[in-house]
Amino acid sequence: MSKFLSVSLSLLEGFATTCLIFLLTLLLAIPLGMVITLGSRSRIKAIALPCRALVWVVRGTPLMLQLIAIFYGPALLFGIVGFDRFAAVLVAFTLNYACYFSEIYRGGMDNIPRGQREAGLVLGMTRIQIFFHVTLPQLIKRILAPMSNEVMSLVKDTSLARIISVSEIIFVAQEYTRQGLIYPLFYTGAFYLLFIGILTLLFRLAEKKTAYIKV
Amino acid sequence: MEYLTVENFKKSFGGTQVLKGIGFELPKGSILAVIGASGSGKTTLLRCLNFLETPDEGKICLGGEVFEAGKRYSEREIRAWRKKFGLVFQSFNLFPHLTARGNVSLAPDLLARERAREKKKQLIKEGMGRRKASAAARAFRRELLQNNARRADELLEKVGLLDRASAYPHELSGGQQQRVAIARALALEPEILCFDEPTSALDPALTEEVLKTIRTLKGHTMIVVTHEMAFAREVADEVIFMAEGRVEERGTPEEIFSSPMSEKLKSFLKREYYDETAIS
Repeated sequence: MSKFLSVSLSLLEGFATTCLIFLLTLLLAIPLGMVITLGSRSRIKAIALPCRALVWVVRGTPLMLQLIAIFYGPALLFGIVGFDRFAAVLVAFTLNYACYFSEIYRGGMDNIPRGQREAGLVLGMTRIQIFFHVTLPQLIKRILAPMSNEVMSLVKDTSLARIISVSEIIFVAQEYTRQGLIYPLFYTGAFYLLFIGILTLLFRLAEKKTAYIKV
Repeated sequence: MEYLTVENFKKSFGGTQVLKGIGFELPKGSILAVIGASGSGKTTLLRCLNFLETPDEGKICLGGEVFEAGKRYSEREIRAWRKKFGLVFQSFNLFPHLTARGNVSLAPDLLARERAREKKKQLIKEGMGRRKASAAARAFRRELLQNNARRADELLEKVGLLDRASAYPHELSGGQQQRVAIARALALEPEILCFDEPTSALDPALTEEVLKTIRTLKGHTMIVVTHEMAFAREVADEVIFMAEGRVEERGTPEEIFSSPMSEKLKSFLKREYYDETAIS
């Protein structure tokens, strides 16, 4: 029994790291995704093309590969060592998810009728005012469902961090398998399910809250 | 003296010239109806007047101020010009996430916030303490927002929709939506109110309520692009007939509808107008 408790506690510790990766990635990728969207929609080619190329590369290669490239790349290319593992995870995850988010935003923005922006312009609103008071509320409503998919993928993708030995929950569980203890690995599933369950409820709440917008 | 003068408007889209030198004058408080077949450039003309498109050539004079195409204007100046012209769209374009009242007061409320921020800056410049200036600006903003709310209700009452002030656009009929859009366009007190075929997306049954609302706005300077010939004849002080990007004919409603001169106008009216009157 006390073994189970100590397993639970160390898994919980790993889970804390998982949650931290998840939250920080979300916090950074949501706005960065918008920057990439606006960039790739820009009329200036020198801005739009790099943004689109970035999305292509990031969506075209496995996240695991990106993680390895970002963690080992600086050392292999420039001899810079001692890059923080956790920071590498954050950079890779943020970049990856920002690109996926940006495509969701782009789809949502394309579906907002041009007349909405024009109505704002005619009323003398600035571009920034139109973005925050006309486009964004309608965009949030439109992207909620596809975003919930991506966000839930992110919960599970955090387990890739173990590739570069960041001790998130799966990494911790695997340490136990080395000692011959198998069940902690399956035990982690409960943590993920709980997390996803909470997210599902939160997204359902958000959908209810935006139900009054008919677009 | 004329109030609004538009001179020699030209606009091309990808090699096709849609406006080929449009000009007209409009005295204050008068109503100009613009008629013409689809593709004659009516909508482009309105879009240029509202700075949704930039004319390639041309000039606008309004109450002594001049806008010249080709000159560079800052976004601030363009915004100032846009506020002089209101536009009611064919497809209403109400903001779906805001109530009727929210639609009417959004732009004035944003302006109120800007003005409050400027006031704060100015007070600080005049040597007032930061905290005191913030409080003064907040009070000022509150007052402006209250005024806006009152004004929004007045406008909704004017278009007969005060009882629907808390409804979202999707809860309103097309005619009601367009009336909210009219109230919204009036909220910034534009000097010229433009209508781009305000009833062409509506059922005939709903058309009349919108036309009735527009009739109550007499006294405002208005430019109405319309397919409703009977309405144009009834409310307009002057009518312009556009064809192929030019003013083909202009005159009083009586002149245009009873004694058209050009062949193009005659055949246009035959199609669009006389049939209509023959039926009724």
